[in-house]
Order: sequence, then C-alpha cells, then structure tokens
Amino acid sequence: MAVALVLALVLVTIGCIYLFVAHPWWFPAGVSAYAASVDHEFNTAFWLLGGLFVLAQVALTVFVLRSGRRKKSSYHVGNWRLELAWTLAVAALFFWFHFSGGKVWSSMRLHDPEPQALRVEVTGAQFQWYFRYPGADGIFGRVDPQKYSKPEEGNGLGIDPNDPAGRDDVVSTSLMLPLNRDVELDLRGQDVIHSLFIPAMRFKQDAVPGMTISTRLHPTQLGNFEIACAELCGTGHYRMRALARVVTEQQFVAWLKAHEAQQ
Amino acid sequence: MPIAGEHVDIERKPKLGGGGPGKIPHRRGYGGGDDGDHNEPGGWPSRKEKLRRYRVGMLLCIISVSTLFICLTAVYVMRQSMGRYDPGRKEFISDWRPLHLPYSQLWTNTALLLLSSITLEFARRRMNRESEFYVLGIQAPRMKCDLPWLGITLFLAFGFLAGQTMVWSSLRSQGLFVRSNPSSSFFFVLTGTHAVHLAGGIIALLFAAWGAWVKHRFESRQLVVEVTSWYWHFMGVLWLYIFGLLHFARG
Amino acid sequence: MQERSPITASPVSSRFLRRYVFSTDHKVIGLQYFFLSLAAVLTGTFLSLLMRIHLVWPKAAIPLLGEIKPEDYLGYLTIHGTLMVFFVLSTVPQSGFGTYFLPLELGTSEMAFPWLNMLGFWTTLVSFFVLISAFFVPGGASVAGWTQYPPLSAIAAAGPGQGAGTDLWLVSIGLFCMGTVMSAINFVTTTVQQRAPGMKWLRMPLPCWSWFVTAILSLLAFSILLAALLLLMLDRHAGTNFFVPGGLMVSGRAITAHKGGSPLLWQHLFWFFGHPEVYIAILPGMGVTSHLLAVFSRKPVFGYKAMVGATIAIGAMGFMVWGHHMFVSGMNPYAGFAFSTLTTAIAVPSAIKVFNWLATIYGGKIRFSTPFLFSAGFVSLFITGGLTGPLLAQPSLDIYLHDTYFVVAHFHLIMAMAGLFAVFAATHFWFPKMFGRMLSERLGAIHFWITFIGAYAIFMPMHLLGAAGHPRRYSELTGVQYVSAMEPLQRFITIAAMVTIAGQVIFLVNLFWSMFKGRKASANPWDCTTLEWTLASPVPTHGFGETRPIVSHGPYEYSVPSMETDFLPQDAPATQGS
Repeated sequence: MAVALVLALVLVTIGCIYLFVAHPWWFPAGVSAYAASVDHEFNTAFWLLGGLFVLAQVALTVFVLRSGRRKKSSYHVGNWRLELAWTLAVAALFFWFHFSGGKVWSSMRLHDPEPQALRVEVTGAQFQWYFRYPGADGIFGRVDPQKYSKPEEGNGLGIDPNDPAGRDDVVSTSLMLPLNRDVELDLRGQDVIHSLFIPAMRFKQDAVPGMTISTRLHPTQLGNFEIACAELCGTGHYRMRALARVVTEQQFVAWLKAHEAQQ
Repeated sequence: MPIAGEHVDIERKPKLGGGGPGKIPHRRGYGGGDDGDHNEPGGWPSRKEKLRRYRVGMLLCIISVSTLFICLTAVYVMRQSMGRYDPGRKEFISDWRPLHLPYSQLWTNTALLLLSSITLEFARRRMNRESEFYVLGIQAPRMKCDLPWLGITLFLAFGFLAGQTMVWSSLRSQGLFVRSNPSSSFFFVLTGTHAVHLAGGIIALLFAAWGAWVKHRFESRQLVVEVTSWYWHFMGVLWLYIFGLLHFARG
Repeated sequence: MQERSPITASPVSSRFLRRYVFSTDHKVIGLQYFFLSLAAVLTGTFLSLLMRIHLVWPKAAIPLLGEIKPEDYLGYLTIHGTLMVFFVLSTVPQSGFGTYFLPLELGTSEMAFPWLNMLGFWTTLVSFFVLISAFFVPGGASVAGWTQYPPLSAIAAAGPGQGAGTDLWLVSIGLFCMGTVMSAINFVTTTVQQRAPGMKWLRMPLPCWSWFVTAILSLLAFSILLAALLLLMLDRHAGTNFFVPGGLMVSGRAITAHKGGSPLLWQHLFWFFGHPEVYIAILPGMGVTSHLLAVFSRKPVFGYKAMVGATIAIGAMGFMVWGHHMFVSGMNPYAGFAFSTLTTAIAVPSAIKVFNWLATIYGGKIRFSTPFLFSAGFVSLFITGGLTGPLLAQPSLDIYLHDTYFVVAHFHLIMAMAGLFAVFAATHFWFPKMFGRMLSERLGAIHFWITFIGAYAIFMPMHLLGAAGHPRRYSELTGVQYVSAMEPLQRFITIAAMVTIAGQVIFLVNLFWSMFKGRKASANPWDCTTLEWTLASPVPTHGFGETRPIVSHGPYEYSVPSMETDFLPQDAPATQGS
C-alpha cells in the first residue's frame, strides 16, 4: 500500500515536471507592448510555484517513505515557532510575488492611452465581432441597434443613418491595427456579455451590454492574430472568431481610406 | 444492541473521584453544550434546555433572514446610481424616480404590527405564568387564557397584511407596478419579502392557537409562542428598518 | 464514562416509511443525503463524459441521445457544474457525513432540530428533481453555465434553454438554498448547545470545527444567493430592471422591456455567494483530512489550534475576495488590485493547513489503509490545485488566463478532485460505522491508484491548454484555428477521463458489495479516539441511548508516551493519559 502511494506520487510529480518543462503547447509569442512583462511575471510564478509544488510533493513522498523505518509514532502536538516561521516565509514569498506584479497590472489597466491613440469601437453580438473606426472626422456616429440594426444590409451595429458623424465610420469584421501605435479599444455588447480575447497580445476584456469599457492595446509585431470569444454567450460561443491584423502604418491608412470611400 | 461495543483495554467504568458526573463543576461555559442542567428532577431540565436550543436556532434563522435583507439593501443603494449608460460622457445617467410613499397607510400598518408585538408579549408572559402553575402541580383552570392575546395578535397581523395589500393596490392604481421603475420594483420586493416572512410567523402562531384548540401539550405550545415571539419582534424591527430605508434613502 | 442525557435519539417506528423514508433520525437523514449525492455525482460524471466525448468526436452519435448539438453540450455543462458544486460538494461532505457524524462526535444522540433536518433533506431532494427536469422541457436545460450571467440568463430569446430550462434552474437552486439554510441552523445549534460534558470547544475533533464553520458560511452565503435568484426571476418575468440594461438586440429582436440594469450587479451578488461557496465545498474535506491523517499516522494533529484558527480565517476571509472572479468584467481596476491582495492573503491560512498536514504525517508510523491513501491524495491534489490560486489571483496574469482551461484545471484539481478524495477517504473511514462492514482494502487501493493518476492525467494538461489560450465552455474545437490545433491534447484528456471514469466502477462495486457482503466490522476497527467509535458498528438507532459520554481529553491523543496502547479515547476517565 505504501508502495502504491509512493509510486503514484513519484509518477505524478515526474509527469507534471515533464509536462511543464517540455510544454508541447504553451503561450503564443507575445506581440504587444506589455506581453513581455506579463510573460516575465508568469515565468516568475511558474518557477516559484513549480518549485513549491515539487518541494511539497517530494516532502509528502519522503515522509510517507520514512514511516516504514519507524517503530513508533512520535507525539508532537505542534511547535509554534516552526508554525510562525513557515507561515511568515510563505506569506513573504506570496506577497513579494503579488506586489512585484502590481506594476504590470497598472500598465495594462491604469494608464490612459496616449492622446494620438487610434480609437476603435468593438461590439460583440451573437455570434459576431464588429470593429468600428471613426473615420476622418474622428467621431463615432450614434448607434441605436433597436432602431437601425439591419445586419442583412450591412448595418449590424445600427448606426443612425441621420447622424452625419456616422457616415464616414468604417465597420469591419477584422480588427485592423497599425504597428507600434497605441490603440484605445472601447468595448460594447449588443445582446449578452462577450469577451474579446487576443491571446498573442495577452489581451482580454469583457464586452458588457449597457456599458462601454475602454482599454488600451499596443501591437508590436506585424501579422494576423486570432481573436476568440472568452465569455459564454450562447450556442455559437465556440465559433465567435475574428482576426486581428497588424499592418504597417501606410497599409493601415490605405485600408481605412479605401473603406471610408465605400461607406 | 450494546451501547458501547467491544473496546480496547481502557477501563470504562466511571471512577469515583476520577471524574464521575458529580464531579463536573456546574459552571456556565464549562465545556459541554448544555452546561449541566440535567441533574434537576422532573420536567424542567429538558424544558430549559429545549428552550435554549430553540432560541439559538431562532437566532440563526434571524441572522439568515437579516443577511437576505442586507443584500437587498446593498442592491437598493447600488441600483440608485445605475441607469442608462451615456457613451458620449462615459457615465451612467440614473433612471431612479423616487417613489411617493402612501405614508398614512404605511404608518397605520406599522402601528398594527408594533401593536401585535405588544399583544404577543402579553400572550407569552401569560403563558409563562400559567406554566409556573403547571410545574408546581397546580393545574391551571382549563380556560384558554393565552388564546385571547394570541387571537388578537393574529387579528392585528392579518390587519397588517391586509393593509399592505391595500398599499400595493393603491400603488398599482396609480400606475406604479413592480416593473415601472427601479424604485417601485424595490418597494414591492422589500415589502413583499417582508410580508412572506411575516406569513411564516403567522403560520407558527396559528399552529399554537390551533394547538390550544385541539389540546396539544401546553409545553409545546408555550415553546412555539416563546420562540416565535423573538421572530415576531424581529419582523417588527425589520419592518421599521424597511420603512426607514424606503423613506430616508428614497433617492 | 457516561451520564444521563437530556437528548435522546429520535423515536423508532416499526413502519418502514417512518423508519427509513420520512425519518427524523439524523443517521437515516445522513445516509439519505449520501445516496442523493451519489446519484448526483453519477449523473454529473455521465454528463462530463458526454462532454469530453463530444469535444473530440463531435459527430459521434450517443446511443439514445443521438448527435450532441452545441445547445445540448452547453446544457450538459450547466447541469454538470450545478450538480457537482451544489448536490455533490456542498451536500455529501457537510449534509451527508456531517448530519451522520456531527452529533456522534460531539457525544449526543440527535441533532438540535430533527424535524427541520428531515425537512431540509426533502427540500434538497425536490430541488434535485426540479433541476434534472430541465432536460425534459422544451428548449432543454439552460445554456448559461452554473454561473448564469445575465443578460444571457435573463432573456429567454438569448438561447435555447433560456426559457423554461432557466426557470427550473432558478427554482431548483432557490429550494436548495432553503434546504441548506435549514441544515446549517441545525449544525450550528447542535454544536453550540449539545456537546457532551467536557467537550470544550478546543476538544472538538477537527471535522466538527469544519462542519461548524461551513454551516455559518452556508447560513450567510445562501441567503445572498436566494436574494440574487429572486431578483433574476423578477427580471425574467416581472419586467424589472436589476440586471438587464436597455437597448439590447437579441437574435434580431429588440428587447424593450428592460433598461437601466447592470449585468455586473449580478456578478457581484453571485460571486459574493460563490466564493464562500467554494470554501463551503472544501472546508469539511479539509477537516476530515486532518482527522484521518492523525488517525492513520497515529500522531496528534500538528498544531490543532492553528488548524482551528486557519479554518475560521479561511471562512471569514472567504467573504472578502469575490472580486477575483471579476478582474476582466469591467470592474474598477483599483478594486481589482484590492481583491487581489486579499486573495493572496487567503493563501496563507491554506498554506498553514498544508504544512500542518505534512507535519502530522512526518514522524508517524503510518497505517496504510485506504482512508489514508485518499487523505494523502487529498493533500497532494490540494497543493497542486491550490498553488495555481495565487497565480490566478494576480490580475495581470488573470487577464490572459480568465475563462480559459487554466481556470478549469485549477478548480477541478482543488475542488473536484481534492474534495472528491476527501469524500472517498471519509467513505472508507466511516463505512464500518454506517453499515457495520468493512470496504475491501484491495479494491480500495486499486481504485485510489487509478483515480489519483487519472486526476492528474486529466487536469494537469488543461493548464497547458489554458496557457495556449484555449477558452472555456467551447462546445466544439472547430470554430477557432488555434483551438483546433490543441485537439491532440484534448483527445489525451478525453481518453484519460474515460479510463478514470471506468475505474470508478471499482468503487461502486466495492461500495454496494461490501454493504451486504463485506467483512463485519468491530466497533473501533481503526483504533480511533473520537466518540462515534465508542458505539457499535453500525450505530444502533438509539445512538448513545439514555446516557452519554463525558469527555476528558482532546481528540488526538495518539501515541501518548506514558501509555501502553497507542490511543486514548476521548471518553476515557480523566486520570488516564495526560
């Protein structure tokens, strides 16, 4: 029985170590400004917590093994000095880890985007993402989906046709982003809660109906990066997909102009 | 079946001087839950213990109900500052329209409920005095002394519920329904939830009254009234709280 | 040692219905809860099997059910989560074993309110049937998950199962709330009022402490949930606006009945209940583990007072951390950081418990019975699942990992697997006392091995899925390219799950066979000190009868140096031992 337990513990410990060190599936390469600091924080967590995992499982295994060599159990009711010591040690480790990550959180959520940031409005609907650009006037047109939404005519968002500011708005089903520029993403929901998740950019934010949530993004690499929905929104949740396409500034400007002309 | 089965070699007979029942100090909070009130003769031990047990249970029930209303209060306060989101100004515009409460009717209902608390207290104390006769062996005369006060309490309670129903219909006749405005939603939710809980207390008192009629054991009836009185007074305090909230935090 | 008891066991009726069905005997009710949870876990496991099969073989036709559609998958997902969290983890460790053994370990013959006890069970049973009935109404079960976020849960048009299916879910869980509060009142009153003479608070066995703290948490948390459910039901049917904002377009239909509500309000309310709920699910398991590790290591629990303090701390702090489920929700980021600090803090009492478990085992001459195997397994799984907690508590990391399989791995390891191991341990440990026979040690060891390896095989790879960005609650892998690339790992997990689930048949065979044909058990087969082992196996209907024990010792006097035997029962006379 002891053998069964020890063998099981050893197997799982080795298995887990292998799984996490070899990691056949892992984070995609980070392509946004704060991806590197997020990854660094994760690595710290990984080594700290992984180390504690191995230590604890090994301790358990060793204590179980050593029982075999004993004649009698010892009568220890406790040792408050030891309790205090290891409690403080763990608290110190965890709080050090916690506070050192504070800067990362702050950079992700507590800093406003730069004034020249590109503004994009993201709307989640069952089961489609819409990305709206304000166009040359820099102003988003008024939106009232209950009155004006007509997805079959290309106006899924319900932009008010009477609002002049809306006439140059560009609506796309892909998120076009220029390289190395701050982007202010305003997230909205049309029906239920969705969540815009761009793994490569380490970005996630819920799109909640009844609110507009502003977030910040800063892509640092060219390419196409998949977007998935990360909040259960109904039967089509698994296929609510889009693409974030990071292009050069010139390509972006050209794309925007071409689409503005079409509106 | 043996009470204690075979056991390892520890001697189990109580040793004199070693910790038998007489040696346990009868101090409050010594150790066991019921603190040694099991050595008196007659029916007292189990009655006192039973009462304490039911009171603890009732206290916990009151805590649970309080938590429900604390939660509703928090939602009430939060909802006042929510409303329609204006994306232009990036802020919420509150859609809360304060309710004009029918104060005269509400004060009448309040008076009925508080009065019922007083009459229930009379009933409870009457029953306590009766029970002293019972224990001393002097049977109380078989008139249902406690019934009038209990009956009056129930009458007042039904009066309160009838009054609340009148308040609800007067609001409805003004076009204020549960869905009209958050303020009216909360009015119906808070007063309705209170009424449902009060109804639970009424059922308990009806049971005690019916018990008097079909000659249930006096002790059980007394216990029901004793314990329900705590709940009842809590319902009164809760009503005052709800009334206060609806008035002072009307938005 | 014994003396007269004012509390006597429930009267025994000769009629079958009153004795075994509508009984107020806490032992019968404990068993009723146990078997209810067994039905729930079998159903919930079957649903998860369907989900796992569908994920990697989407076109597979299940006998009698046919091909699984996305709404079916999400319905299974919702009911799986609901059954497991409520009817398994919040039921069997607390209402199951607690109802049976709390009075016995405290040295009394019945709970405080036997009739309320019975009412609580029947309310919970009705709640179970109402929940299952959701599968059989038009639209099927709700597709919104056990968390039921509005507007999805508030608007019937938002998806199949969001009509009658969701109403049934709300009614079911509302009933469950009431049943749990009834049970909680019983637990707290019994613990406060009915401990045997000499059973000071700090002489209570640790399971009793856990049951007590868990009951207080239940009393408070389930009231909050009931309030939230009431408000959601009103939003759905009375046109109120607590959680649903205005201007919604659902499936081409304008929803004009609502305006001004906030979906975030539901999340706050739900998680203010939901986080204490997960501690309700795990605290009894922790208490049982502490207890069993002491019994089988033949040593006192290391740091008993610290364990009590940690239990209370976890319970209290459990109410302060709910925002860590909402880092991505649109909640104020400053609040996010505050919740993160509090969540990191709650890791400290949990770590104290882990150290004390390890220290209890250290220096012990262990008796390797099946309960010990499962308790050691609990410690291992709790460590593994628990360590990803501080990681997820950091909002900068949670932004990425929220709603991915990383979170699924975390809560399954620490709540489902560790919790389940505690239940298996408790079952093996208390089976002799409940049924008068022993479970098979050989089958128990095989079952342990398969389940332990299986638990790791199923849930450890999910961390990798999450790290690669695989979102939760996806009914198919075909919708997003990088997700379908992870299909091989999902397949591995499914196969591991199938093998592990098959291995549970061994437990069921062991359980039911041993109930009738197992080796007869003595009163105290494990040489345990606590009071339930002073009674015969199975416990006689009258419990301690007219008398009850007098406690003179703590509950963990094992291997006391001056003594010949290696354990000192709690009711042994005061002159013996220390």
